[in-house]
Amino acid sequence: MIRAMFNHRTRGFRTINVLLASAMLTLAVGVNLAKTFAGKERTEIGRVERDIRKEKTTIRVLEAEVAHLEQPERLERLSRAYLSMAPVTIRQEATADNIFEVAQKSVASRPAPPPIPADNPEPMPEFDPVAAAVVVEPGQ
Amino acid sequence: MSLSDLAPHRYPLVWRWIIERVWRVEHAFERAHADGRAENDTRIRIFAVLAVFLVGFVVMAAGAVYSATLSGAGQGGRTVAGVAKRGDLVDREGRLLAANLTHYTLSVDVREIWSKRETRTALLAALPQLRAKDLDRALKAEKRGVVLRGLTPAEKARIHDLGLPGVVFDPEERRVFPLGALAAHLLGYDEKGGAPVAGAERALRDEILKAGAEGKTVPLSIDVRVQAALEEELAAAANEYHPRGAVGVITNVQSGEILAMASWPDFDPNFPGRATDEQRLNRAAASVFEMGSTFKAFTVAIGLDTHVATPDSTFDTSTPLKMGYRTIHDFHGTNRILTLREVFNHSSNIGTAKLALSIGPDRMSRYFAALGLTKRAKVELLESTRPLTPKKWDEDDMASVSFGHGINVSPLALAQAMGALLNGGRLLPLTIRKLDPAHRPAGERVVSEETTLSMLQIMRGNVVGGTGRKADAPGLMVGGKTGTGEKYDPEIRAYSHYKQVGSFAAVFPTDGPVGADRYFVLILLDEPQGGIRTGGWVAAPAVGRTIDRIAPFLGVQRRAIAPPPQTMMATARVVPPQPESGL
Repeated sequence: MIRAMFNHRTRGFRTINVLLASAMLTLAVGVNLAKTFAGKERTEIGRVERDIRKEKTTIRVLEAEVAHLEQPERLERLSRAYLSMAPVTIRQEATADNIFEVAQKSVASRPAPPPIPADNPEPMPEFDPVAAAVVVEPGQ
Repeated sequence: MSLSDLAPHRYPLVWRWIIERVWRVEHAFERAHADGRAENDTRIRIFAVLAVFLVGFVVMAAGAVYSATLSGAGQGGRTVAGVAKRGDLVDREGRLLAANLTHYTLSVDVREIWSKRETRTALLAALPQLRAKDLDRALKAEKRGVVLRGLTPAEKARIHDLGLPGVVFDPEERRVFPLGALAAHLLGYDEKGGAPVAGAERALRDEILKAGAEGKTVPLSIDVRVQAALEEELAAAANEYHPRGAVGVITNVQSGEILAMASWPDFDPNFPGRATDEQRLNRAAASVFEMGSTFKAFTVAIGLDTHVATPDSTFDTSTPLKMGYRTIHDFHGTNRILTLREVFNHSSNIGTAKLALSIGPDRMSRYFAALGLTKRAKVELLESTRPLTPKKWDEDDMASVSFGHGINVSPLALAQAMGALLNGGRLLPLTIRKLDPAHRPAGERVVSEETTLSMLQIMRGNVVGGTGRKADAPGLMVGGKTGTGEKYDPEIRAYSHYKQVGSFAAVFPTDGPVGADRYFVLILLDEPQGGIRTGGWVAAPAVGRTIDRIAPFLGVQRRAIAPPPQTMMATARVVPPQPESGL
């Protein structure tokens, strides 16, 4: 069978040679075409990946800049300078449990309202059942 | 060799198979030749060679297709020089502390420059930090010369836009600390070659590299807000008293986490070469000090834990205590009998020494060892240094050690031992890693929970009516102990009354159950200047201000200001300010 394969000729050429040359040519053309088509895609992928790397680098730089700008000492200095803010003191702190007590102290510390003249009594406000129902319960 | 030689015991199976096939082909050739079919013999050989080449070409073709389409080889991407890819360091809330950023090295290639003069003028105008002599040196080189390292992407873009020929940029990775000097000693820094040499960068090097490879961050235990408040108050105290150095440490006593650690003077880890050795020295970990009276907290706790004394036990401090050739005095003697609480509040050396003598050297030394005061502080930082301890633990040395003389420990070792006194008695290693908030590490028991509760009360009493009143922060139930240690002066070969170490060791809040969240704060000034150099004067106010600022960050609720409980004040007579007392 091997002998037949080597001896077989087509138009004067050994068939085996023709087949092998064809296979080689097909492979060469195939590889060339694959590289050509893939090259465009590869270039595009490379460009996108470069862009991603560049964006990531930019994001990291921005993150570092944000961290630099958000230094606690700087924020505190700016808050004091431009917003007149200051650390909270104990007198400014209250919990939901003692807010009623704070309100009572606040009311007690206010100066007494001036007496209402007898000939010009302040009109009584109308009773509002909705407003009356809103009562702040301690602990809420 | 023949086929009979291919016994299984002589050759492996695969090798035997190959040899058999080769022999078979060779015998086929020989048989063909013997039969007088020479042409067949040649053709078979040609066919065999052809087949081998064909297989080779197919393999190469497949490789070419794979390389061209699938492997991704040659798609570019320059290798970035500089430090190895490291993970970001973040604080316990995820705020960025250290990161690898791509910088650029600016070089000039004189072979491509058409006008050196124009290039020189343009570069000097665009880069204010560029030194003319560095640029001139690069321009005089025969080939490519480095001009400036560490350009940011913005600076690179600015130069790039100038369109100068012969100007080249090479990317390089650099470690950047965006918060500048904040937490510099804890974070560490890189040496010139890019290798980490100190701090967390050095201690957690492998972990940081692994995180970098996986694209993760490494969370540290510190809180940037707490760190900033501590550093600011430490710097304020340093500016007021001009010490040689200063230290601040804040820890969570229930977990051992270091929430803030500062050493003054500080430096910018982005430019470690510009700092002096004094600035780069981490005094919290790498320096040891005679702490002075803060050690009385340990002696009192040991006395309570061994049941040698109770808070109401009395000690006669009316006369100095003679110990062999020397006499122990109180800095500001009360000349009367004091309870143990009063001994603590008045910081009586005589009372503390008498308590230590009652405890005995054996038990004292065992407790000191159990508290970790005779070894380097257990913490990841490689800078953590060994203490200087007495060569022998006899009664004389024990009396000195009981009030913090004759023993030098690092501030971190003090924080570690204090943590054990204040967390229910567990000695926990300090850590710069963030721990799971739900997990409380177990530690070796050193003192009982009852001792912890007593110490919290006694230390609170010292701030309410003792030497530590300047450390009080309204509503935060601060407790603590002052400390003033004299330093040995080699010039006079004796302890100096002028070179002192003033410190205040505080805990807050002191109320609540033994397992409640609780924080330790230490501020220490080394050789403060001025007329008054005691811990209660130079360090306690800074501690109070620091606690007042950091309490909201730590979630510590301020309590309504109420008169101190009777148990604290019953025997704690208010001590007037004693600037000259040494307390």
